[in-house]
Amino acid sequence: MASVASKTVYDIFQSMEYGASASTTATAARTWLEQHSQSLGLFVDGGFVRPVDRQTLRVTDSTGESHNSCSMICICAKEEDVSACGVSASAGFKAWSELSAHRRAKVLLRLANTLQRYSQCMSELCVLSECPCSSSALVRLAHYYAGWAQLRDTLMPNWTPRGVVAIVVSADCQFYSIWLKVLPALAMGNAVIVVPGVKMAAPALLLAQVFMEAGLPAGVLNVVTGDCALVARVAQSIHTSYLTFCGSKQDGELLAKQLAGWGVPTSLSLSVSAVCPFIIFESADIDSAVDGVIEAAFKKNKDWQWVLCVQESMWDSVVGRLKLRMTGMKCVPLASEAHRSLVETAVQQAVQQGATLIQSCPPPSTGGLYPPTVLCGLAPPCSAVTTPPPGPLLPLLSFRSVVEGVTLGNHSPHGQAASIWTEDLTLALETARSLKVGSVWVNSHSVTDPSLPQSGRRDSGNCTNGGKEGLYQFLCPSLTPRMPRSTPRSLDYSAFGTAASTFMVPEGFDPSSVPRSCSQFIGGKLCKADSGCIRVVSSPGGAVLAYCADGGRKDIRNAVEAALKVQPGWLRKSSAARAQSLYALADSLDKRRRDMAASIQAQTGISMDEANEEVELSISRLSDWAARCDKQSGVVPPLPQTGSAFLIPEALGVVGIVLPDTRPLLCLVSLLGAAVAMGNAVIMVPSEKHPLPAIDFIQILQVSDIPGGVVSIITGGRDQLTQALANHSEIQAIWYWGSVEGCQFLQYTCCSPLKRMWLHCEEEVDEEGGRYWTHPSPSFEEEMWREAVVWKSVWIPTA
Amino acid sequence: MSARNSTTWNLEWVSKARVNTQAVLKRAQQVQGRKVAKKQWQAAWLLKAVTCIDLTTLSGDDTPSNVHRLCMKASQPVRRDLLKNMDMHDKGITTAAVCVYPSRVADAVKSLKAANSSLPVASVATGFPAGQTPLKTRLDEVRMAVQDGATEIDIVINRTLALTGQWAALYDEVRQFREVCGEAHMKTILAVGELGTFTNVYKASLVSMMAGSDFIKTSTGKESVNATYPVAIVMVRAIRDYYLRTGHKVGFKPAGGIRTAQEALVWLVLMKEELGDDWLTPTLFRLGASSLLADIERQIYHYVTGCYAAYYELPMA
Repeated sequence: MASVASKTVYDIFQSMEYGASASTTATAARTWLEQHSQSLGLFVDGGFVRPVDRQTLRVTDSTGESHNSCSMICICAKEEDVSACGVSASAGFKAWSELSAHRRAKVLLRLANTLQRYSQCMSELCVLSECPCSSSALVRLAHYYAGWAQLRDTLMPNWTPRGVVAIVVSADCQFYSIWLKVLPALAMGNAVIVVPGVKMAAPALLLAQVFMEAGLPAGVLNVVTGDCALVARVAQSIHTSYLTFCGSKQDGELLAKQLAGWGVPTSLSLSVSAVCPFIIFESADIDSAVDGVIEAAFKKNKDWQWVLCVQESMWDSVVGRLKLRMTGMKCVPLASEAHRSLVETAVQQAVQQGATLIQSCPPPSTGGLYPPTVLCGLAPPCSAVTTPPPGPLLPLLSFRSVVEGVTLGNHSPHGQAASIWTEDLTLALETARSLKVGSVWVNSHSVTDPSLPQSGRRDSGNCTNGGKEGLYQFLCPSLTPRMPRSTPRSLDYSAFGTAASTFMVPEGFDPSSVPRSCSQFIGGKLCKADSGCIRVVSSPGGAVLAYCADGGRKDIRNAVEAALKVQPGWLRKSSAARAQSLYALADSLDKRRRDMAASIQAQTGISMDEANEEVELSISRLSDWAARCDKQSGVVPPLPQTGSAFLIPEALGVVGIVLPDTRPLLCLVSLLGAAVAMGNAVIMVPSEKHPLPAIDFIQILQVSDIPGGVVSIITGGRDQLTQALANHSEIQAIWYWGSVEGCQFLQYTCCSPLKRMWLHCEEEVDEEGGRYWTHPSPSFEEEMWREAVVWKSVWIPTA
Repeated sequence: MSARNSTTWNLEWVSKARVNTQAVLKRAQQVQGRKVAKKQWQAAWLLKAVTCIDLTTLSGDDTPSNVHRLCMKASQPVRRDLLKNMDMHDKGITTAAVCVYPSRVADAVKSLKAANSSLPVASVATGFPAGQTPLKTRLDEVRMAVQDGATEIDIVINRTLALTGQWAALYDEVRQFREVCGEAHMKTILAVGELGTFTNVYKASLVSMMAGSDFIKTSTGKESVNATYPVAIVMVRAIRDYYLRTGHKVGFKPAGGIRTAQEALVWLVLMKEELGDDWLTPTLFRLGASSLLADIERQIYHYVTGCYAAYYELPMA
């Protein structure tokens, strides 16, 4: 300190240093902490509670200086705290959801005002807790979702809130990401239990207090803190009806596995561990791009990791500018000392593999600091590229052509975001469309606004946050049966669906009617099961109706191969052309309505009238989807900043569908229509009990002009095929109707690699005979098409 | 001065230039957010700004008497007692140069000589500010200013050539100016307010540097838009590009509308951030200004005394 103070004007005149910025005293935040005697409780039922004799966690503030440190103490919530919290949240939900939309909106608007009053304390506390967050961003969030709260009943009349929603955000996330989930949840009328990472407990608790001041009924927002076990406890609480997590991939995976079988729908945003491409094309403003990447990659609290991809012809200019711009950059503090060795190992390994370093200064010998470092000339297999350690490291790769640039960007298990730099408009838009990520920033990076949803693809998450699209995770269609709460059954996950099926020669063979042998439908061709095995299709009375193929994992594999080949072409067709194909399919179904009705009747034993009605409904449902093909479009959200943005619904890719037993034809066409209309390819597994209508539908598919491979139908054992679908990484989503065990298995298995899951437990006897399908609620088709797409937001700064 | 800057004509380089306006605007905001510490840091930085000022008078009513006052202020820009207090009185704090119209060069040279000052005299030339006079008279103007003793010449480029995309012709013109400048330093004014786009500014910067400019300068101070931070970022990036390719360091001079000490600090920050410490000396950075010095002196007065000075307490220019 002394040497700094004694610097004379002349010293500085010569060295031209900036000088240390005055450290903030954070008076407001410290005062607030002192009011709570430095010891923060839980926020339950509208107030702070400090149950005694709980384990505590010490959180030290960022200044870390002993003489004025103000460490905070958090409580580890115990079982009884969680159940108290659940009870209060259910009561809160009742009060909150019964308010009018306008009243809820008013609370959120008042919250925006109250937040402005607390903004000083809020941001100081965030800085102390090392999770900086601008309070204006939170205010904007509150304003934005107050609007949706007001309009919920008008614009989303057939949706209801989920109930008590648990929002879990791990410590390595941005503070903002908690509220990007909490505000839409509240706006839609849910009650929320927040489990923040310990580091950001203090500002989260303060914000809970601010919510109460704004007039939120007690119990609607609860904040509980604690260790890892707490999260599972909250999720397993009987009151919780939905859980959404934000954090790293490992934590998300662990959590998903813990929750398998509890019957709590779970969604994960795994942006923390995402690796995002930063692509600089030849036609870019190189200086701006280099400035952009330096800003994005070397800041302390990075949103995600970046990999710099540069077109080869620009390599030297980019490297030259990086070197020049990085000279004199200061070392960046690492999150912990432990990260230091991770970073060093990664750098060492990269150097061993021939990478050269651009460093602003040599790394200090010890301590939690590391200089901004670019690793030039790495090859994609290097672990610094695939799993970069947390820290100011930036791998630099090169590509030859525009096409290769996109391929390089897409060649990753992540799909969070990308930044692309080019002055060529056509190239920018084409690249934005072809990158398989949730957010694309053209000539910019990390721009966020509540109206632009962020949604991860692949391993980066299966949920959409922000925008109108981010509301639907907190809503369910009014008449949809909910997934029943359950307790996990003891299940050998590795053995699930591996039992070989045994073919039994049916008794009572009747030579007068030899049952036909039916093939499955893969890649546009009829074929036998790879194993060569067959199954018996029997009527409700037990008579043998047909023999069908007993498909297995090889058949699924073949279907996926075929689907991957044709799906991009199917997607590239104009939506009008897709509509025509689906209309034609509906037409062919119409022409064969008698056969199909007979097939339904034979299979399910319902009356001919009912069967006819089902066919009629199916034709109409297919036509609905044909009509929707070119009607479900993206939006151009109005933004507070200058710039142009748009939001596009995109196809998921290959969707695996395990069909329900009820209404076999109607379910098939409803789900097929939704997925295919939006440009996906589907692999459908007909009901094990009632496969015949699906098998007969193959003939209709064969004559349609839907390219072979877009729809595959594979018959066989449900569990076997479910297992095969779950274990194929190219399948992006699974829609499942089936057993509790199946749901549990999928929840457990499909978190790595991550899939989008739409799970339905069919175990309860369907009293209404598939009313859900025959008399759908108005939001039925909306829910389906929303399941069939992922959202991509593209942002282009313009005047 | 080591080997002087000049490069052969390279059209490909110029035509490949691309600038993204929005990214530049964002960067400009970031730069403005970078703060210099208070107290002695601010004082030191402000004194540095003083040493980079081209103290300027460019008015129709300039006469020997106000030019004389300007020269005297330029050689003693900050009150001596204030400098003494900071122990800077013997560090040769003067402005970088005085800048006048060609017809006043002789007056300025005479005044400075009388005061035993070696301060360079800069002269605007080539049909300042519009540049819309015949090439011959523009060349003559440079010659005469040099003859009268100007050691720095601020030329203006022909905007007609720039706006119509005749970059090679512009290169030739600037090259000719450079030849008649002889030993005198040449600063090339791009008049950015009249170039339309950032890409044009970037291209004009490159062309001027290739043609041998020692400095590139934003504006004449007579256009409606003068030295703005975004446009400066475009120009200093061109300087960086040029340095990376040729190894020549070309200087930068923002001018027009720079009035407050706060702005002067932002300009220094911008240079430090974009080009590094090398460009924080009068050999590579100048501030074209007239009223700026008064505000800086007041800020220094405040640092030294803790009080705000009235303008009449500080010597006028």
